[in-house]
Amino acid sequence: MRLIGQLISFAIFFAFVALFSVAPELRLLDDNEAIVSLSFSHAANRVGECKRLSQEKLLALPPNMRKPDDCPRERHSLQVEFFVDNELAYETTLAPSGMWNDGKSTVYQRLRIPAGPHLLHIRMNDSGTQQGYDFDDSAMINLSPEQNLVVFFDASEQRFQFR
Amino acid sequence: MHHLGSLTIFFCWIALISGIWLLIFFRTSVAGAFDSIEYLTQKQWYIGGIMRSLHRYSSDALILTIALHIGREFSRDTYRVTRWFTWVAGLPLVWMIFILGITGYWLVWDQLAQYIALTSSELLDAIPIFTSKMAANFLSDAAISDRFFTLMAFLHLIGLPIFLVFGIWLHVFRLSRPSINPPTTLMAGTLLAMLALSLLFPAVSQDRADLAVAPQSLQIDWFYLHVYPLVQRWSPEWVWLLLVAISALIVFLPWLPPGKKAAVAKVDLDNCNGCQRCAEDCPYSAIQVVPRSDGKRYEHEVTVDPDLCTSCGICVGACPTATPFRKHSDLIPGIDLPENSAEHLRDMVDTATTERPLVLSFACSGSSEIAWLTKHKKSCVEVACVGQIPPAFFDYVLSRDLSDRVLLTGCGGSCRHRFGLEWTSQRITRQRDPNLRLRVGAHRIAMAWEQPWSEQGSLQKLHSNLERDARENTECD
Repeated sequence: MRLIGQLISFAIFFAFVALFSVAPELRLLDDNEAIVSLSFSHAANRVGECKRLSQEKLLALPPNMRKPDDCPRERHSLQVEFFVDNELAYETTLAPSGMWNDGKSTVYQRLRIPAGPHLLHIRMNDSGTQQGYDFDDSAMINLSPEQNLVVFFDASEQRFQFR
Repeated sequence: MHHLGSLTIFFCWIALISGIWLLIFFRTSVAGAFDSIEYLTQKQWYIGGIMRSLHRYSSDALILTIALHIGREFSRDTYRVTRWFTWVAGLPLVWMIFILGITGYWLVWDQLAQYIALTSSELLDAIPIFTSKMAANFLSDAAISDRFFTLMAFLHLIGLPIFLVFGIWLHVFRLSRPSINPPTTLMAGTLLAMLALSLLFPAVSQDRADLAVAPQSLQIDWFYLHVYPLVQRWSPEWVWLLLVAISALIVFLPWLPPGKKAAVAKVDLDNCNGCQRCAEDCPYSAIQVVPRSDGKRYEHEVTVDPDLCTSCGICVGACPTATPFRKHSDLIPGIDLPENSAEHLRDMVDTATTERPLVLSFACSGSSEIAWLTKHKKSCVEVACVGQIPPAFFDYVLSRDLSDRVLLTGCGGSCRHRFGLEWTSQRITRQRDPNLRLRVGAHRIAMAWEQPWSEQGSLQKLHSNLERDARENTECD
C-alpha cells in the first residue's frame, strides 16, 4: 500500500515536471500582429548657452581647468511623439540621465501593431522650445506578421531610421 | 516528503554532472551557441540529448521540490524562533536558482532565449541605476557579440554555482547531521524516472534566435519563467514590486507573529557526568562539549547555546540520568527543560496510569493522532517530541506494571524536530544510547510511525491490537 502510494506520488511529481516544463504555450502576439520598438538614446541640448571667459577669468583658474568656454551641464528634457497612421501611439517626456541632468535621455518602448502597411511618424524636441519639433521623420512601412521593426535615432545622419 | 531538501541537492548534482557534459560541447558565441546545442540534441541524442534533457528536467524538478520544501516547513511551523536563520538563509538560494535557470535558457540562443533576453533586460532596466537601456541591445542581431555569451557562460557555469554552494552551506550549517543525500532507493528511482522522462520527452530548442522576428507564441518553462508574462501584462516595475513583496514576506514570516520561545534546556552539573550523549543527539548543534569547570573528576561538561536550542527535549531523552526510578533524590537529570521537566513527565505518567490502562500512549504535540486518543478517552501523555522521553520511562511504565503496553505516535511519520522519531526507534531497538533495558520486552512497545501509512485508521487498529494483546497477556497471567 505504501509502495503504491509512493509510486503514484512519484508519477504525479514527474508528470507535473514534464507538463509545466513546456506547457501551456505562451501567446505573445495576436495573429497578424507585429512589434514596433522605439529604442534610442539622445542627449538633448544644454539648458544655457556657453559663455566665453575673459582672459582675466581664465588666468584666475588653475592651469588644468582653463577652458575658454564655460558651459552649463544641465540638459533639456527630450520630448518624443510617435504616430501610427496619424494617430498618436506613444508620447513621452524624458529627463536627462545623471546626477547633474547632463546625460542622455533613453527611449525604449515596444508597441504591438497590426501587420500591413502603416504610416509611421516620429518627432522629437531636444531643444526645449515650446513650439515645433527639432526632428521629424516618417516612413510608409509594410509590416509583416511577427516582424520586429526598430525605430531609432541615427546620430551620424541626425535623423530617425526605421529598420 | 521529509527528503525534499536532500532531493533538491540531488537534482543539483544531476544538473551539475549533465551540465559538465553540455559544457564540453558548448560554444560561447552568437553563431555557435545554438548550433552546438542542436548538435547535442539531434546528432548526439543518445548521450548529449539525454544529458540536455536531464539538465532541463532536474532543474525543473528542483524548483518543485524547493516549493514543496518551503510549503512543508511552513505548514509544520518549523521556521520561527531559533529556526528563523535556516528559513531566511534559504531565500537567497531560491533567487540564485532562478537566476541560474534563466541564464541557462539564455545560453541556448533560440527564440525562447531571445524572449528571455529582452524581458530580463526590461526587468533590469526598471531598476533606476542604469543610464542606458539594456533591452536596446536585444533589438537587432548586430548589437549582440560573442563576449556576451562568454559573460553569460561565466555567470551560469562558475559565478552563480560558487555562490550556490556557499548558500547551501549557510542554509544547513546550524543543523547537525544535515541531510545532504536522499536514501539510495529514492536516488535510484528518481534517476530512473528522469531518464525515462528524458527519453520519452527529450528537451529541444525552439527556432534559432532572430531579433528581427517577434515570435507569436512560445513554449516556456513555467517553473522558471512564470513571472515573465507579467512583465508585458503589467509592467517591469510592478513585477519587481511583486517579487520584492514576496521575498520580504518570506524574510519576515518567522516574526509574523513572533513565535514564543520556550525556556531552553538547562544543564545541572551536579547530575551531569559529561557523557556527551545529549550533544550527540541534539538536532540543532545547540549543545557544546567543553572542559569541566566544577572540579569534578569528569573530563567534560556540556553547555547549551540559547540561540540554537529549540526546547525539543531530545537531549533529555538522551540523558542517562533522566530516570524516573529515583527514590532518594528529586528527579533532576543532567540536562532538562525548565518548562517541561522530566519530573513533570513522570507526574504526567503517574496521573495517566492511575487506573492502569491496558495501553499508555505517548504522543508528540504535533501528532494528528492526539485528537483520536483524546476523543476515545485513551490514556495519553502529550510531549513536545517523543524523542524527549528517555527509554527508562518505558521501563518504568512496564516494569512497574503501570500499563501493559506502550504506544508511541509521532508527527505524522516525519519528525518536526528532525531526529526525535529516529533516535527513539534506535533507543528502543537498543541501537542507540541510552538503550531500553533488556528486561523490557520491546514487543510491548509499538511505534506508530513505523507502521505503513500511520493515519488515524491504522492507529486505531494498532491501539486495538495492543489492547487485545494486553488482555490476552492478562488472561494468561
